[in-house]
Amino acid sequence: MKICSPTILKFVFVFISAAASVASQTSAQAPKKTPSVINPPPTAQDWADLAKLPDWSGVWNPKISDQDAQVKTNPPPWNEVAAKKIEAMFAEEKAGRPRLIFSNCLPEAHPSWMLVTHNAMEILFTPGRVTMLGESDGNRIRRIYTDGRGHPEVSDPTFHGHSVGHWEGETLVVDTVDILPQTPLAISEAAGVPNNGEMRTIERIYLADKDTLHVDLEIFAPKILTKPWKTTRIFFRQRARKFDIVEGVCVQGDLAERVNAEGDHVFVPVEKSAWGHTISVPEK
Amino acid sequence: MRQFAQVFNIIAAFFVLIAGISLVAAHHSTTMFDYSKTMTITGTVVELRWVNPHVTLAVNGSLNEGDAATNWLMEMTSPGNLVRAGGWRRDAVKAGDKVEVVFFPLRDAEKKGGALKKLTVLTTGEVFTANIREQEKPGLE
Repeated sequence: MKICSPTILKFVFVFISAAASVASQTSAQAPKKTPSVINPPPTAQDWADLAKLPDWSGVWNPKISDQDAQVKTNPPPWNEVAAKKIEAMFAEEKAGRPRLIFSNCLPEAHPSWMLVTHNAMEILFTPGRVTMLGESDGNRIRRIYTDGRGHPEVSDPTFHGHSVGHWEGETLVVDTVDILPQTPLAISEAAGVPNNGEMRTIERIYLADKDTLHVDLEIFAPKILTKPWKTTRIFFRQRARKFDIVEGVCVQGDLAERVNAEGDHVFVPVEKSAWGHTISVPEK
Repeated sequence: MRQFAQVFNIIAAFFVLIAGISLVAAHHSTTMFDYSKTMTITGTVVELRWVNPHVTLAVNGSLNEGDAATNWLMEMTSPGNLVRAGGWRRDAVKAGDKVEVVFFPLRDAEKKGGALKKLTVLTTGEVFTANIREQEKPGLE
């Protein structure tokens, strides 16, 4: 079938040439747009400026006894529905049937990591970023952007949300949004409810003394709280190198290391109870 | 082809098993243990599983001297917390070591196990504890 005559082809060619010419002129005359570089290469000065920040190096451990105490002394202002759920969870826990708030080995998420973690973390400063690195999957990683950017226009929720921070003297102020609605606001490993969306936190993080880090949190969770909840969480530092943070993979706890009949090193499942503890381990 | 399907089924079944088990995994509250009681067993270490989020210690032993030895399973906190709070090491004990274990038993008395409180290696006298909050004591650096 004949589609195009030579005359039509010639016309199309002329049209395309003209369009290209107009486009080229338009481009040359258009005002320059702001370059969309999100992560500009750091300068030597950017690296040097990090030395002016407070010393947060080392391994930080959560003060678990204070977490325990605040369950009673500083409960969140739960709304009626959430309060009933929490009460039921306390009753189950007291009866030896604790609810598994952090099942599936998913991260504790923000802000529950700050509130209830039992694992250590370390904090890294790089130009435009503060990074919290946890010891295990439960407190794996938080990225806090300090390069002046805002939150994304389109929400893309994650376990730890989107965090932007800035320094006010020696205090890091962090604003976090876009947290998955399924993630719990937890006050212990057996008491917490899904935040159900629109959760936001503002943190002020600073050295309270030489080896004590305070995280002042204000938590806005309008679906489960009657008003914002304020709490301070404490982390302490041990300078002696008793322990370097190592990789902690949560699901590894469900598996035993064995060698199979073919001589391969493999993982095989252990038996767990309904409450999450290991009941039996397969023989070697 | 049939062989391939069989292998595939075995692999699929393994992953279903893993997925099912992981539903009750992760770290957890420890109130399934009865902290109002302690029990003591002596026996032989079967295996120390040095893994996150909870280390386990299997011991073949008995509550009373002369009783038939059975396998007991002790659960603890994470490797990191054990190092910081109780001076543990991956090789703190090995299979065959004679030990005494003081523990808080499971509320379900049918199950042979509990939360480890204190481990003594009988041949060396070394002692390891497992209280996660011990590391908050001042001067432990």
